[in-house]
Amino acid sequence: MNHALIQFFVAVVFGTMIFSHLTKKNFGASMAYGVQSLAVAALLFGSFLETQNKLILIVVICALIVKVVMAPLFFSRLIRKHALMFSASTYLNTPLTLIAIAILTFIAHSQKFAAVTGIVPANQALLSLALAAMFLSLFLIVNRKGALSHIIGILSLENSIVVFTIFAGLEQSPALQLGILFNIFIWLMIAQVFISMLYKHFGSLNITSMQSLKG
Amino acid sequence: MFELMVSPMSFILFLTLYFVGAIGSLWVKNNNTLANIWSSAFSIAGSLWGLGLSLVIILTGQTLSFVAQQTSFSLLSLSFDVDLLSAFFVFLISLIGLFCSIYGIGYVKHYYGQYSIGVLGFYYHLFILGLLLVVTAGSGIFFLIGWEIMSVASYFLIVYDRKERENVQAGFLYLVMTYAGTACILVAFLLLYQFTGSFDFDVIRDSLALIPASTKNIIFILALVGFGVKAGIVPLHIWLPAAHPAAPSHISAFLSGVMIKAGIFMMIRLFMDLLQPVPVWWGLTILLIGAASSLLGVLYALTEHDLKRLLAYHSIENIGIILLGLGSALIFASLDLLPLSLLSLTAALFHTLNHAIFKSLLFLCAGSVIQQVHTRNMEEYGGLIKMMPQTALFFLIGSAAISALPPFNGFFSEWLTFQSLFQGIVLLDSSVRWVFILAAGALAFTGGLALACFVKAFGVTFLARPRSAEAACAKESSWSLLVGMGSLAALSFLLGIFSGHAVFVLQNIGRSFRLFQGVPTTIAVFGNQTISIGKEFASVSGLAFLGVLASVCIGVLFAVRWTIYRQQKVQLGSTWDCGVDLNARMEITATGFARSIVLIFKGLLKPSVQQKIEYDDGAIRYAPKLKAVILGTQDVYQTYLYQPMCRVTNALSARVKNIQSGNVNIYISYILVALIITLLFIL
Repeated sequence: MNHALIQFFVAVVFGTMIFSHLTKKNFGASMAYGVQSLAVAALLFGSFLETQNKLILIVVICALIVKVVMAPLFFSRLIRKHALMFSASTYLNTPLTLIAIAILTFIAHSQKFAAVTGIVPANQALLSLALAAMFLSLFLIVNRKGALSHIIGILSLENSIVVFTIFAGLEQSPALQLGILFNIFIWLMIAQVFISMLYKHFGSLNITSMQSLKG
Repeated sequence: MFELMVSPMSFILFLTLYFVGAIGSLWVKNNNTLANIWSSAFSIAGSLWGLGLSLVIILTGQTLSFVAQQTSFSLLSLSFDVDLLSAFFVFLISLIGLFCSIYGIGYVKHYYGQYSIGVLGFYYHLFILGLLLVVTAGSGIFFLIGWEIMSVASYFLIVYDRKERENVQAGFLYLVMTYAGTACILVAFLLLYQFTGSFDFDVIRDSLALIPASTKNIIFILALVGFGVKAGIVPLHIWLPAAHPAAPSHISAFLSGVMIKAGIFMMIRLFMDLLQPVPVWWGLTILLIGAASSLLGVLYALTEHDLKRLLAYHSIENIGIILLGLGSALIFASLDLLPLSLLSLTAALFHTLNHAIFKSLLFLCAGSVIQQVHTRNMEEYGGLIKMMPQTALFFLIGSAAISALPPFNGFFSEWLTFQSLFQGIVLLDSSVRWVFILAAGALAFTGGLALACFVKAFGVTFLARPRSAEAACAKESSWSLLVGMGSLAALSFLLGIFSGHAVFVLQNIGRSFRLFQGVPTTIAVFGNQTISIGKEFASVSGLAFLGVLASVCIGVLFAVRWTIYRQQKVQLGSTWDCGVDLNARMEITATGFARSIVLIFKGLLKPSVQQKIEYDDGAIRYAPKLKAVILGTQDVYQTYLYQPMCRVTNALSARVKNIQSGNVNIYISYILVALIITLLFIL
């Protein structure tokens, strides 16, 4: 696959992460996740073109079905069902969020992390971006109060890890990737039921309303 | 034939017997009789196989080392290494396992209808399997798997009688202490791995030079604490007097006779084999811990009136005696006095064997008594010798053995331990010599106090008159219980008489260590069972003791008959009772017997005395109707060590709880910060 195209897809993954932080609407965040997953599927398709391993093609198709189609559909359904048009508030306001994003991106690109991002020296810039995307996914979970954002944060973290492993040469066997996709699929099913139950019980998906869960 | 016996296939089949025994017991758990038959059959078969296998290895010196299966996890290799030391412990497990299993056939019947015998059989087999893995594993990770199986199975055996709240609490305490110890062991193995790059014992032994001295010292402390918890050394023993009595009696016998030796086994393996050479202070530490454990163990035993707790405290005492031997062996090895080190190690191994036999015997006897009288409180026994004469005889033999009275086995191992301590006193310089003098003094005290304690235990339990209705109605135990106890009693006697042979074999086990290759021996064993130490330093003979003892007994018997009964008419009548009816309240109690000794050590035992008086006329308070004295002792370890530790832990936990806000965002931020800090730290 063309190197510029690869860089573009990684940039899409990173860009959608930032978009998820800034968007005020849950629908926007879920669509951003769909686009991010599409970019990851495209990178996996690139692996298929290089290796001609048919199992990877199956992984790409499954990823498209589960992550690009089903997950956004699942989020849309939740948004419609529970009227979650706007995302829950954040702990940090937008300028502070941007500063935190900048710091985390800086840390991921710092020399201190060269031992991690320099596993494959040719891909160091891409690996740094993937590592930054990992940190930003975690930060999304930390900063947002809405349970939906948490789910998107966790799924984005998985996408970031996949991107990192592709460029670090740590890509696992297609069978394992299929297993992970199956895991995500089941996880989405369970989360749908679980979130509906939470909403029914608390009347909100704002996690600050769930303090009464504390023992 | 021997090649076939000492082969990987034979060993795997041996372990399989216990595995099948465990699964099968669970399979037939709905039928108690069938579960009992299945469980006993497989454990007896396994024990017999183990005895044959271990004896062949010990007597021929043919070791067994193989990898059962290479796993995909590179650090875990299912490797077995059955050298002479391992074979000795397999022998111990199989020997005690055999008699406990025979005893169990009849003993577990009183659980029918209350608890599942199949479940008991399942955990019993799993427990023995875990023990066998512990003593035969060839690598640290595999060893830990065995250790874990053993610990978890033993926990379920301890809480088997779960209707008693006390038993459940004892199990919980055991579990907490076990995992605290396991954590230390795990860190010790990780440190070994860090410097040697392997969990394999052979690799660790060969790469010892790579471990810095300071790290070796840390490993020693961690291993001493970790294995010390299991062995029940003072002050890590608090679980032992609670847990051992809680289990069914044949399990108590196994726990006390064998399981605590797993700690001793690993101490010997690590300190005498894998980590040699070691500094002198390691041996001195173990010697001092041994002296403290032996003395304090027997003192606490004296204060007990719960028969099984009394025996459990004696386990602490005997572990102390074993550590006296091991500590001396380490000191002599550090000072390059290898023949004396071998003598001390032989003493430690011999006492390990002897203690396993006589302690199991005593627990089995206690089980028989408790089964009849339905209480562990000795104050409610009395006069059982008339109802349970054979059990009384076996208990007497066990008592004599544990009190180190000749010609029973306990005497000879303690004698060997004394000899190794005396050698230290004679040969070493002043600072170390004083530790040996202290240790020898502690051992002498321990011997005397143990005798006093068992005079109390035997006297109060079996002599005088019954002090409860249950004691008055007690019956002799069934055949399987008597076979189990009788066999162990016979072994106690035979190992005393043939102690020369035993010492010879145990010395060979010691000589198989790399440390003692080509080392001359200081122990000479002669055909008439005479054990001689050094050049006419000391000698003893089991057969000679037997001869003298038999001659004296026969001589006294004939003399008494001749002088007293000669030309006299024997008239049977009632005992002179000063005009009042003799009753059980006139007998000396366990508390009363121990009171004078307890008061001598009141600074250590902190006794508390409560007096309860009831008067015929409360207004005048002149003539007392009932007067009772309740003597209790304060558990100084609980009061001054564990309770403060608990308070500090609780206070710290309360502070740490502040970070538990209940907010998911905060928790994830902890993860994010920890991840970044960890990465920054390690990169």
